[in-house]
Amino acid sequence: MDNIYRPYLMTISDMTDEAPGVRTFRLNFSDEEEGKNFKFQTGQFGLYSVFGAGESTFCIASSPTREDYIECTFREAGRVTKALRELNVGDTIGFRGPYGNVFPIDKWEGKNLVFVAGGIALPPLRSVIWNCLDLRDKYKDVTIIYGAKTVDDLVYKNELKEWEARDDINLVTTVDPGGETPEWTGKVGFVPTVVEEAAPDSNDTIAIVCGPPIMIKFTLPVLEKLGFKHDKVYTTLENRMKCGLGKCGRCNIGCTYVCKEGPVFTAEEISKMPDEF
Amino acid sequence: MEKLLNKNKFDTLIAGLKKQGYKTVAPKKDNRLVTLEEVQDASEISLDHVITNNSIKEFFFPKTEKILSYTLDKNKVEMEEPKGFAVKSVIFGTRPCDAFSLPVMDKVFNWDCSDKFWVERREAITIVTISCDKSDSYCFCTSVGLAPDAKQGSDVLLTKISNDEYLVETVTEKGENLVKEMESVFSDPPGTPDRQVATVEEKFDLKKIKPWLDDNFEHDVWDEFSNKCIGCGACTFVCPTCHCFDIVDECTMTKGDRVKNWDGCQFTMFTMHTSGHNPRSTQGMRWRQRIMHKFKYYVEKFDSTLCVGCGRCSRVCPADMNISEMLELIETEAGK
Repeated sequence: MDNIYRPYLMTISDMTDEAPGVRTFRLNFSDEEEGKNFKFQTGQFGLYSVFGAGESTFCIASSPTREDYIECTFREAGRVTKALRELNVGDTIGFRGPYGNVFPIDKWEGKNLVFVAGGIALPPLRSVIWNCLDLRDKYKDVTIIYGAKTVDDLVYKNELKEWEARDDINLVTTVDPGGETPEWTGKVGFVPTVVEEAAPDSNDTIAIVCGPPIMIKFTLPVLEKLGFKHDKVYTTLENRMKCGLGKCGRCNIGCTYVCKEGPVFTAEEISKMPDEF
Repeated sequence: MEKLLNKNKFDTLIAGLKKQGYKTVAPKKDNRLVTLEEVQDASEISLDHVITNNSIKEFFFPKTEKILSYTLDKNKVEMEEPKGFAVKSVIFGTRPCDAFSLPVMDKVFNWDCSDKFWVERREAITIVTISCDKSDSYCFCTSVGLAPDAKQGSDVLLTKISNDEYLVETVTEKGENLVKEMESVFSDPPGTPDRQVATVEEKFDLKKIKPWLDDNFEHDVWDEFSNKCIGCGACTFVCPTCHCFDIVDECTMTKGDRVKNWDGCQFTMFTMHTSGHNPRSTQGMRWRQRIMHKFKYYVEKFDSTLCVGCGRCSRVCPADMNISEMLELIETEAGK
């Protein structure tokens, strides 16, 4: 019988510093055969481990359309992420996954897409953004609204530039008041306010929102005001997890196991959950 | 298959099991505590108790267990699968409530994907249960659909029929094979055995619990009842059906193990996010999770109550929180 807790071994092939304490790893399967057989869909997550330090849960931050590797972006915050940051290109880490459900991007074909992200929550949306951008013809207007505390805290700065330069994406970036620099040309204000100002057309549009609980709490009513129906608004939740397989018993919100039935939910599904976020 | 087993044959039975390559686990008395642990000899077995201090859980899902071993050499990681964790054993003299916890827990450890550490131990271990001939005020198996002589989860069920004799009933093929293997210790059962089974009072009506839980995620009882809870988590550790766990690495510079450790929903850190945000920030929320998980969530997911009525959580609680009192309170609230 297979050991469900056995990770794949992966080699760090590249890394990028995104913001203070935030780093992206590009990972390749150490075993080529395993790499060929590995498939995931956008929205799924995994458990990344440093042997000797432990496992930590993050989304897969790259798009499944980029088949040769996966990427993860993490902020140094605890024991495992500290150990991850001490690793270098060429080092080996463990990866279990892919786990959880997916963003139903097939269902979104022919529609406008509005992505709203705050801070370190851009990585899970980056996977679905690139997935949709790699299939750009299938979607109508694409709007990305992204905010962070300060200019320095914005992640994927190079990709933000790339998105800004494209004329088939409407990118709005913002930083919290006081987080701007003299050179900053984006907006200054909190994400919910900026979404309200940007007022994306809700007609035939899907909104995908990810951010800290407080941002989500204030953004959902704004989207509702703009005419977005609850079943047209998607988010991805993260709760503390250990197994990712519906056994360790801690990521549930009421009856819903975020690791199995999630992490992707519609605002409608969330509205039916008990207030235990 | 029905047989008779005389107490004076316990010696031969345990010695015979050992000869057949079984490890035997049985209730053993050590000062005030009676615990299920490995025995070498029938003289170590104690049967004069209501229920063992520890549950059967740790023999299938140990307090701590290796789920992966590895060696580290510069950039090279070699992984090694843990071996030898499923040891051919007989658990002798456990109680029906504990035995029933096994098929209940099979559901979570097998749904979607199987945890081999649980499954392989389940295959390797044969359960010989002894029906309860006495109970105490903490027992409430009859309130959760069980009985002091329930067979579910056992391979063989022994029921006292006189001071020295037990009626032996095989429940599964595994149990039947065990009895056949040890055939010489058993004799033919009497025609109308006088089964000595404890009475356990029915404390609440299970049917009334879930409908109330469905509607009362927000209710004052959660905080009120758990005011005295000190969050020690003892209830979760002695519980045969609490299955929450943590996964951590334990290692030196050159080698290590990834281990699965018991964890519990009553601890503050259990759900705390890296950011410091905690979805279950109060003891009331954590207590609610324990009750909801056992009597609502598990029922919805797996069509089974995650409680076997053993009463251990209430017996060990240093703050004297009693789960059946909580459920009686819910029944009262449901009747309002």
